[in-house]
Amino acid sequence: MAGSNEINANEAKKVVPLHTWILISNFKLAYNMLRRPDGTFNRELAEFLDRKVSANAVPVDGVFSFDVVNRSTGLLNRIYRTAPPENDSGEGNVAGVLELEKPLSCSEIVPVILFFHGGSFSHSSANSAIYDSFCRRLTGLIQGVVVSVDYRRSPEHRYPCAYEDGWEALKWVHSRTWLSSGKERKVHVYLAGDSSGGNIAHHVAHRAATSNVEVLGNILLHPLFGGEQRMESEMKLDGKYFVKLQDRDWYWRAFLPEGEDRDHPACNIFGPRGSSLTGLSFPKSLVVVAGLDLVQDWQLGYVEGLRKSGQDVTLLFLEKATIGFYFLPNNEHFYTLMDKIKNFVRS
Amino acid sequence: MGPYDSSISAAAGGSTSSSSSACSSSTKPPDQMDHLLAGAGYKVRSNDLNQVAKRLEHLETVMVKSSPVDFSELVNDAVHYNPTDLASWVDSLLTELNTNVSGQPGPGTADLSDLRDFPAGPYGNGNVTQTGEFSQQAVTPLEEDVSIRLVHVLMTCAEAVQRGDISLASLLIDDLQALLGRVNSGCGIGKVGSFFVDALSRRVVNSPQNGAVQVDLSAYENEILYHHYYEACPYLKFAHFTANQAILEAFDGQDCVHVIDFNLMQGLQWPALIQALALRPGGPPLLRLTGIGPPSLDGRDSLREIGLKLAELARSVNVRFAFRGVAASRLDDVKPWMLQVSPKEAVAVNSIMQLHKLLGPNSSRGPPIDLVLDWIRDLNPRILMVVEQESNHNQPEFLDRFTESLYYYSTMFDSLDACTAQPEKTLAELYIQREICNVVCCEGSARVERHEPLVRWRERLSRAEFAPLHLGSNAFKQARMLLTLFSAEGYSVEENEGCLTLGWHSRPLIAASAWQAIPKPSAATPGL
Repeated sequence: MAGSNEINANEAKKVVPLHTWILISNFKLAYNMLRRPDGTFNRELAEFLDRKVSANAVPVDGVFSFDVVNRSTGLLNRIYRTAPPENDSGEGNVAGVLELEKPLSCSEIVPVILFFHGGSFSHSSANSAIYDSFCRRLTGLIQGVVVSVDYRRSPEHRYPCAYEDGWEALKWVHSRTWLSSGKERKVHVYLAGDSSGGNIAHHVAHRAATSNVEVLGNILLHPLFGGEQRMESEMKLDGKYFVKLQDRDWYWRAFLPEGEDRDHPACNIFGPRGSSLTGLSFPKSLVVVAGLDLVQDWQLGYVEGLRKSGQDVTLLFLEKATIGFYFLPNNEHFYTLMDKIKNFVRS
Repeated sequence: MGPYDSSISAAAGGSTSSSSSACSSSTKPPDQMDHLLAGAGYKVRSNDLNQVAKRLEHLETVMVKSSPVDFSELVNDAVHYNPTDLASWVDSLLTELNTNVSGQPGPGTADLSDLRDFPAGPYGNGNVTQTGEFSQQAVTPLEEDVSIRLVHVLMTCAEAVQRGDISLASLLIDDLQALLGRVNSGCGIGKVGSFFVDALSRRVVNSPQNGAVQVDLSAYENEILYHHYYEACPYLKFAHFTANQAILEAFDGQDCVHVIDFNLMQGLQWPALIQALALRPGGPPLLRLTGIGPPSLDGRDSLREIGLKLAELARSVNVRFAFRGVAASRLDDVKPWMLQVSPKEAVAVNSIMQLHKLLGPNSSRGPPIDLVLDWIRDLNPRILMVVEQESNHNQPEFLDRFTESLYYYSTMFDSLDACTAQPEKTLAELYIQREICNVVCCEGSARVERHEPLVRWRERLSRAEFAPLHLGSNAFKQARMLLTLFSAEGYSVEENEGCLTLGWHSRPLIAASAWQAIPKPSAATPGL
């Protein structure tokens, strides 16, 4: 209804800083134009509008990046690293290349975060400006390495493509000697992701657990889960803070196999069709829930499900946060989050 | 990661934050861009933040209130420009929605997508496998180690060359030859690495001061390499296609048009434009084409030959056409009077990978770029189309140039790996090799491949009093369509502040931008 939309804009404005409101509203309106009622997606316009940045081998604020294409998938991996101390010849530019010859460290453990960007399975890429900025901040925070990966997006590529690409990325990361560290010379991997990326991180971790591939921890930033049932948060917050329930439904329809419903195990982890995690050596999880995200009841249900399965899970509930609060470092939720991640990766 | 900016209050005080940022922004200079949104890829002036927020809100209201028909028209027909400039993007959508109410059809300009007989070379006949999977031979971990070592030694050798340590450089070149023997020289770093090792050894053996490092090919041989480069990968096709789109739009409504091509070569760009003009609603204009090219030393008048072929084509589609060839060995030898531009014509200047050649010294004089840009401006063109390599190969320090070109050409060679057609691929590689050689081996006026990135060209062209003409979502969409027709997966078109780039995966390699001259204030005093 037209009237209620005007009210909603004002509500969101009360709880987010101006910059965040502009950024997320811009995405909201652009994305409205990309989702077609018939379930198809205007990919051309999406790619045109998405602001992208190149990798930069010259350190900026102590972080540099370079891209590597995974030859078995053809997908991009963007590696972020902290700049080594300048040597005498000041070879800033060649740093990336020289460092590929050795492990990250032979004595210390250097965390490597394998990051899956969000976008409800349909939007964004590893080289999207918002994700490049976020990964740079993350790299500086953990003083380690972040590997941000592209995965095939829906509706062109439905379940399970994104999970398969995530799995390939994990195997890739594990097999790079130049990402290894510590006395045991292995890669110390954490999985992380926001929105759909969080969902992917969960499924990749699950596969890793059943295949004896080590993942040291999961960091899920308002991960995308759902189900057929309508939860209280979905009904109460529908349309109020940038997101409409019908939009969420559209993205699930675009991602899940045709004809499937939201109780599909990709979507509803602990639902009627989910498989049990009890007894699995599933990594410890940090699940961040934004209190103004309509998906929160599903995320809280996920946390509960992990606990009941005997898994180690920490919930960070940010009551007044909306989706995308971490894109700009201009609010207290951002700094709370960063602190929590830093400690999670250190312990 | 310190405490956040004190001018931005905590989240709970959202409404206060807008007023506090309004207070702080009043002390900022008017053109200051907000740095937070800049990190997200948007340029918004700090002073405009509140205004942009209001417009966004208004846009949402209008979108919600619009009829489904109007909304779908907005979605399908609106052409978007320069999304980085958020304020103007929002405003353009508001304008679209306000004028869409009566359901008017869009402007009827001819469109290159209307062409039925789009030129399809051997590439388009399915010589290249387009698979969903990346059908590359897997690189073993051992090979990867050797590749990394190869790059390391290349850099060390280049550094020795820069320092003038020729004996060390020679030793390292021997090492490099040995390493090349251990990698797969058929693809990847092995292939491009061998060209760089070759270039380094040439430079070491014949110091650039002696000149004549690079063997001059005859014009005919040059043309052969160029033609195969054109067929093997989409860079030139993209350049031509995007330029033609922009020129077509600039010529809308004009009856007499004159295209000046800074490097005619085989005139491959022009058949498509001639055909598009032929199909233009309202009929084609009178088209003049002036092609600049090197003088033929072998007795052929190749400029005239191309001109005749194009005239033939124009006649067959009923486009009145006139051609003129201007022979010049260097672009700065061209004087504007040679182009015979008439004040009544709409002029388009087309420069595909040519302007960078003007950045070097010309014997004893400085770089002629500013003089040339000045006379281009004097022609008062409706459009100056510039396509350039997207890299900085013109840095003063040799090592920097070497490093940058190594990464650039590695990426370009990676993209060529997807081409399987022969001899297109081998000859295309030779074409690229000549560029590499020029960047690495030559100096002074012999070094003509002085590529500079879009960021620098923007500065230069602004200083020369040109204003950008933004390439929009329609050009973007069609460029992407072109790629799916002709090329393997992995090529990507990106929008960059009103310009379009074509690259391999996330690395842009070619940048296309369009410009128009800012009119000079009239010097004539009327009425005397």
